[in-house]
Amino acid sequence: MPTELPYAAEAETSLGYEELHVLKTQYYKEIEQGHVTTQSKFNYGWGLVKSGSAEYQTEGVKLLQEIYSASPAHRRECTYYIAVGYYKLKNYAYAKRFNDLLLSVEPENMQAQSLRTLIDQAVQRDGYIGMGLIAGAAAVTGLIVAGLVKRSRR
Amino acid sequence: MSSINATSLNLKLLLIGNSSVGKSSLLLRFTDDEFLSDEETAATIGVDFKVKSIELDGKKYKLSVWDTAGQERFRTLTSSYYRGAQGVVLVYDVSSWQTFDELLKWFKEIDTYCGEGVVKMIVGNKVDKEFSRQVTTDEGRAFAQRMGALFVECSAKTKLRVPEAFEEYWQHPHYGPRLLLHPCAGLSLSN
Repeated sequence: MPTELPYAAEAETSLGYEELHVLKTQYYKEIEQGHVTTQSKFNYGWGLVKSGSAEYQTEGVKLLQEIYSASPAHRRECTYYIAVGYYKLKNYAYAKRFNDLLLSVEPENMQAQSLRTLIDQAVQRDGYIGMGLIAGAAAVTGLIVAGLVKRSRR
Repeated sequence: MSSINATSLNLKLLLIGNSSVGKSSLLLRFTDDEFLSDEETAATIGVDFKVKSIELDGKKYKLSVWDTAGQERFRTLTSSYYRGAQGVVLVYDVSSWQTFDELLKWFKEIDTYCGEGVVKMIVGNKVDKEFSRQVTTDEGRAFAQRMGALFVECSAKTKLRVPEAFEEYWQHPHYGPRLLLHPCAGLSLSN
C-alpha cells in the first residue's frame, strides 16, 4: 500500500505553544547569561521554522543561517531546516538552493528527496511566483548597480 | 458520502533507539516495502513520519509512524515527537550489544514523556546478520518481559517478519486495545 504523505511531512507540523515556549525561554536565558549554545539556538530556530507563522519562520531561518555560517558541524541539519523554512515561506528558489546543497552531499537522503518533490510541486502550483520575484529583485538590483556605476563614472 | 466509516481514526506510533539500528529502514520496509543499502541511507535529520491506512476490527485507521533521529543532538527536541503517541517501538540491532544495553536509557525517556500507560514494543532488527549476532533471542525476550513490552526480532533487509512486527502490535489481544487508551501527553519537557 503506498503511503499517503511524502516523507518531509514533518515540516508541516507545528509545535504546541508550551513546547515552543520552552525552547524560546532556554534560548533567551542563555543570551542573558552571555553564552548561547549552538544546541539551544538550533532548537529554537527549528521550533520557529516548524511554526505556522511567517514571522516566526523568517526568524527561525535567520537563526539557522547564523549557525550554518558559524558552526560547520551543524551544517547538515541546518541546511535541511533552512530549506524547509524557505519552502514554508514560499521562497522556493532559496528552498531549492539549500535543499540542493544537501542533496549534493547526500544524493540518497530521503528527507531531502521528498522535500525536493514538495518544492517542485509548489513551484508548479504557484506558477513560478517565488522564482519570478527573485528574478525581479535581481533585475532591479542590476538597474540600481548600473545606475550607480554610470553615476560614478561621471 | 458514508457516515462515520469515512473518517478514519488516528493512530500514532513512535520509533526510537540508538543511531544506525535501522529505524528508518524498518519504516521504509513497512510502508513502501523497500530497502536501501548502507550507501543509500542517510542519518535522519530531526524527525519525520509516514502515514499508512490500516484496518483493525473492520475499522479504518490512519496510522502515522514517526521516525526519530537516534543522534544525541536531537534528543533535546524529543518531547514534541512523543505528543499524542499511542505506542512506542524501541529498536535495537541484534549485532550490537551496545544498542541493546542502551534500551534502558530509552525506557527512561518514555517514562519522562509518557508515563506508564503507553504500549511498548521492543524490536531486535538485523537478524540477517546472524553471524555477528551479539544479543540472543532469549536475552531480548527476557528483557522485554521484564519491561512489560512486546517483543519481536526481524530484518528490514530480508523482510523477515517486518509487516508482522507492526501488525502483531495492534492485533495483540492485550496491548492492541490499550493502544487507543493511553495517548502520550508529551508535554512534561525537562529543561
